[in-house]
Amino acid sequence: MNKTFDRIATLTFLAIGVLFMIESLRISKSAYGSVVGPNVFPFLLGLILVLLSVKLLFETMRYPSTHGEKQRLQYKKFWTIFISAIFYTILLEPIGYVITTFLFLVIGFQTMEKGSIWKSIIIAACFSLGVYGLYVKMLQGTLPSWPIWLR
Amino acid sequence: MTFLLDGFQTALQLHNLFFAFLGVLIGTAVGVLPGIGPMSGVALLIPVTASMTSGFEPAQAATSSIILLAGVYYGAMYGGSTTSILLNTPGESSSVVTALDGYQMAKQGRAGSALAIAAIGSFAAGIVSLIALVLLAEPLSNVALKFGPAEYFSLMILGLAAVSGLAGNSMTKAWMMTVFGLLLSTIGLDSVSGVARFTYNISFLYGGLEFLTVAVGLFALGEVFKAILHKEQNNDGIAKIGRIIPSKEELKESAGPIARGSLLGFLVGILPGAGATLASFFSYMLEKKISKHPEKFGKGTIAGVAAPESANNAASGGAMIPLLTLGIPGSGTTAILMGALMMYNVQPGPLLFDEHPDVAWGLIASMFIGNVMLLILNMPLVKIFAKIIETPPKYLLPLIIAISIFGVYAVQVTTFDIFLLLGFGVLGYLLAAHDFPLAPLVLGLVLGPMIENNMRRALTASNGDFFVFIEKPISFVLLIAAILWIAIPFLMKLKGKSVIVNEDM
Repeated sequence: MNKTFDRIATLTFLAIGVLFMIESLRISKSAYGSVVGPNVFPFLLGLILVLLSVKLLFETMRYPSTHGEKQRLQYKKFWTIFISAIFYTILLEPIGYVITTFLFLVIGFQTMEKGSIWKSIIIAACFSLGVYGLYVKMLQGTLPSWPIWLR
Repeated sequence: MTFLLDGFQTALQLHNLFFAFLGVLIGTAVGVLPGIGPMSGVALLIPVTASMTSGFEPAQAATSSIILLAGVYYGAMYGGSTTSILLNTPGESSSVVTALDGYQMAKQGRAGSALAIAAIGSFAAGIVSLIALVLLAEPLSNVALKFGPAEYFSLMILGLAAVSGLAGNSMTKAWMMTVFGLLLSTIGLDSVSGVARFTYNISFLYGGLEFLTVAVGLFALGEVFKAILHKEQNNDGIAKIGRIIPSKEELKESAGPIARGSLLGFLVGILPGAGATLASFFSYMLEKKISKHPEKFGKGTIAGVAAPESANNAASGGAMIPLLTLGIPGSGTTAILMGALMMYNVQPGPLLFDEHPDVAWGLIASMFIGNVMLLILNMPLVKIFAKIIETPPKYLLPLIIAISIFGVYAVQVTTFDIFLLLGFGVLGYLLAAHDFPLAPLVLGLVLGPMIENNMRRALTASNGDFFVFIEKPISFVLLIAAILWIAIPFLMKLKGKSVIVNEDM
């Protein structure tokens, strides 16, 4: 168990609990057809979350911090893929499904392991065109199509 | 009985047969692939099935999708054994015990018979648990029909208590996750009064957080992110499979363990919170205790494969009982199945058998067929499935991200949900990496609206008197059971005894 993370997480959950409690006070109290208004349930839950967070905070004080050997994490790979996923999402609607998916997959494959670029391109093209063809043409689903300047 | 026959009629329709086949096929693949468990597999396939069935009528679409998703569930239970036996790396946690004896058998060149016994045991257990499901479904749902809002509220509290009490290492963390899930479920329009809660005028939030987005993000993306961050090297070679047909002695030796494993697994499966993992552990320990040669266990005895494999499949059948009859999912995977049913406006619970008999009985009948398919599929194809293990993660991981994004976009048609998906993916990784169990969160999210509605209905009937939950006898008993469920492991921990916990549910 990682003490620092547990503490940060606990404080975050404490804040979330308090936030829900305060915000639920702003919801109108009475509701037609029900004695118990829409504010009661979230308020109670917020309270329970606060109590549990305090309990965990005390628990983190007690156990000895066990800092095992730290595994080297592949942050660079993760961030490359995560950030390209965000760009994928932003660009999905403006420039369409096929192009963004293709680019995301090529970047993803190459980030995981460099090399065999043609294989990556072929698999990415098959997936993006395949999904688009199956879903939009055959099943009549909705996906952002090609950008205007290509249509 | 006529209902069951009607169910078979539904399940034997050509497209439903196809869906069942696809489900068990994908499920086996999901179970074989290390890193994707049954939970993320089912979550990932919800949007895919939703788009496949989009041309059907609502009730039909629900039946077909749930047939496919349930197929993935029990298919994955089966597939997990393949990697345990061949690689000594269990594809999912319920096959951990199988690896103890299965891998030893593979080392001795008996991998083929181990796999075959696992398949036969899974099949027998699947059939046993289904027969029990058929027998118990009607009476149980009749009992549940007599429940009022107060009883329902207490029953769901019991369900939450059971899952939270057994999940992960820290009960405090499990409860925090449960409550967090319940809190997330309050976002959106309140279903009783129509008041907007915690939406801050963001129009996407009025419908509440979509269950699908949260589940796919937490489980599928969370696991992918973990796999990217912690690159694991797998240098163990795959054992040769060899002869597939088990010998007569092996069959004879494993008949008893399969029968006991099936019954035990089924009983454990019905209990909420105790899932397939616990069932396989218990049955392995039971076999070891009653065996004449306990020293053989761990050195490649066939009973050590047969018992846990039958138990975990029987447990996944047993877990369907509280889901279908009471509407209470007992584990993470069944919570996801329930979320999928609710997406189609099919509410699991006692009314399911009256309102949507085709869905309920069609599903049960399709599980019979699916189990037969699994057996036929896996005996000859086991060598091909073993090949799937070699799928390089460099292609698999980005593809899973792409499938998740496609799935969420196809159902929600907004990029807002994709951002939410990515956010929950990171959250899922962070929480799971630090011992915060995710299953209770999803369970809270699914049960939240129902708990709240039943609580408010019960309180309205009693004019706001909270004692109504204690005054009704059934509700009182359920609440006491919930308290005991939390208190007993807690007391055992205080006494210094170690409590077996269910890590992946």
